[in-house]
Amino acid sequence: MKLLIIEDERSLLKSIVQYFNQEKFLCETAISYEEGIRKIEDFQYDCIILDINLPGGSGLQLLKYLRQNKNKDGVIIISARDSLDDRIAGLDIGADDYLTKPFHLSELNARVRALIRRKKAEGASFLELGNLKIDLPARAVLFANQLIPLSKIEYDLLLFLMTNKNRVVSRQAIAEHIHDGPSEQVPSTDFVYSHIKNLKRKLKEKGCQEIVHTVYGLGYKLSL
Amino acid sequence: MSKTLQQKNTRYFLIWLPVVLLIGTGLFYILMSTHAHHMEEEQLELKQENIWNALLTNRESVASHITGEYDLLPGTPLHADLFNTLRDTSIYYPANKEWVAFKILTGQRLLKGQPYELTTYISSKEITHLIIKVFIADVFVFILLLVAIVIINRKSSGLLWKPFYTTMKEVNEYDIIKNQSLQLAEQTGIREFDQLNQVLMRLIGNVTLAYSNQKQFVENAAHELQTPLAIIRSKLDLLIDSAELTEETAHLLADITAANDRLSQMNRNLLLLTKIDNHQFPDQSIINLSHTLEKLLAYYQDYYDGGPLDIKKSIQPHITIKANTSLLDILINNLINNAFVHNIPNGWVHVSLTPQKLTIENTGHPIDGGTDRLFERFTKGREQSTTTGLGLSLVQRICLIYPFRLQYSYSENIHRITVDFLSV
Repeated sequence: MKLLIIEDERSLLKSIVQYFNQEKFLCETAISYEEGIRKIEDFQYDCIILDINLPGGSGLQLLKYLRQNKNKDGVIIISARDSLDDRIAGLDIGADDYLTKPFHLSELNARVRALIRRKKAEGASFLELGNLKIDLPARAVLFANQLIPLSKIEYDLLLFLMTNKNRVVSRQAIAEHIHDGPSEQVPSTDFVYSHIKNLKRKLKEKGCQEIVHTVYGLGYKLSL
Repeated sequence: MSKTLQQKNTRYFLIWLPVVLLIGTGLFYILMSTHAHHMEEEQLELKQENIWNALLTNRESVASHITGEYDLLPGTPLHADLFNTLRDTSIYYPANKEWVAFKILTGQRLLKGQPYELTTYISSKEITHLIIKVFIADVFVFILLLVAIVIINRKSSGLLWKPFYTTMKEVNEYDIIKNQSLQLAEQTGIREFDQLNQVLMRLIGNVTLAYSNQKQFVENAAHELQTPLAIIRSKLDLLIDSAELTEETAHLLADITAANDRLSQMNRNLLLLTKIDNHQFPDQSIINLSHTLEKLLAYYQDYYDGGPLDIKKSIQPHITIKANTSLLDILINNLINNAFVHNIPNGWVHVSLTPQKLTIENTGHPIDGGTDRLFERFTKGREQSTTTGLGLSLVQRICLIYPFRLQYSYSENIHRITVDFLSV
């Protein structure tokens, strides 16, 4: 899958590229408005990650240009501006998602994957790891075709880990992700621990092997 | 104790005006009696002149004594010093049975080679009465003057100081946090007050500028910090996923990640705070507060999933409020989050909502130190090194905008925060 990352902060750009390369994405980069326009015209991408403050022009202008040319590439805005108005402005012009800096790469990954899934309506409505299967449209988790009843938070947690499978996801990233709710104030990460514990217990009850691994005090990793 | 200008002014007048008027009255009395004596002397001299003339013309036709008018005596029985000086005497009038005061003047002349003494009389009763009457009239006039001066002074100082009180009222209502501009009258009709207003406007202008620069600085700083924070966060995300992770580095990374996330959170709240101060949330809509609260509490219930805290609620349905959606969300979230974070194991949170107010109670340790700094920035409870110290400050600023009255109380391990919607 092909990704275009338009971000003028080279250090951040490098991190994003590195992360998505590990996820087996093909990454193109642009560090200015003009370069962005050029790359958009040259290729088609599954997803474009777009910064707003760019040398040579605004990311919003670029997005406008993109949509005027009937380009339907998925666009995720990454911006330091986090007010509701900025979000609404971005989404109005035609962005598919809006992520505020600073973000966790695992969160960006989850957003990119969700966007690509939405764009390919017919495609993968299942996520699988071994015998564990998440039915996305039904929001259901199955192990060896047996339904595992999960709470909303546990489901979100498992989906997030599944999207970032085989990688270590920090507790803070999980806390922010499952707290996608109304607050600016992210509750303490201690509660991530109790939800993970419940999730592990429910998986084990259905005979699923130990797939959620705790990585020291850092975070968690979903792998076989 | 301080008194108002008018009271002070009136007091000075009431102390000093009577003194001045008393001295004036004394002077007036002295002057008037001096003049009266002078007049009496002249009248007595004129009388003497008339009698001498009559005597010279016809000695026999003139009596040598008329009571209350004159005495003519041959020889010089009187001591020479007393000649031509005004003296007092009194004569008994049997008919009225009273003594009447007289002024007398004695002169000496030669009449056909013989010396004679002539003493003329003039009653001093009338002039004394006149002096008393004039004096009483004068006292009345002075009292009238005193009252008039005090009244006129009070009235005129009220008018004179009016621009001052207007200025004071406006400056008193000025609140730098509310971002309002202060426009004082430039032409009050009184130069001193024009100057005062100019000076005040310049002062407030400078202060406002300094304040907005400060805010701008905080906002810019917070904005600029977002990018490095984003870089650090992304590098940490890569690092924790690297294959060479040992337990030791993992613990280091865990601490760094936690600190960095707290920094991001703090930065975000600081930005939010400056935005609230800059009134960047002007839109208002009718919000169903009951609904918002129920949804949020359900979320916390889920989040804390049968955890160590008991959630109690008494929320009246369909309570709406007019406010900015984002701000109200932040307000409620911070208050409720606060009640959960600053709690004790096996404690409880109680949320109640009526059309007038929202009350949030929770169990918790007492706050160290005073509660007056509770809503200030970076005031933290103990054992809470993971919070940003900005939550309640945000709440306070939001309450200030609408304005809602925010109250805090603590008793027997229960913290209670009340937001009064109908205040002011």
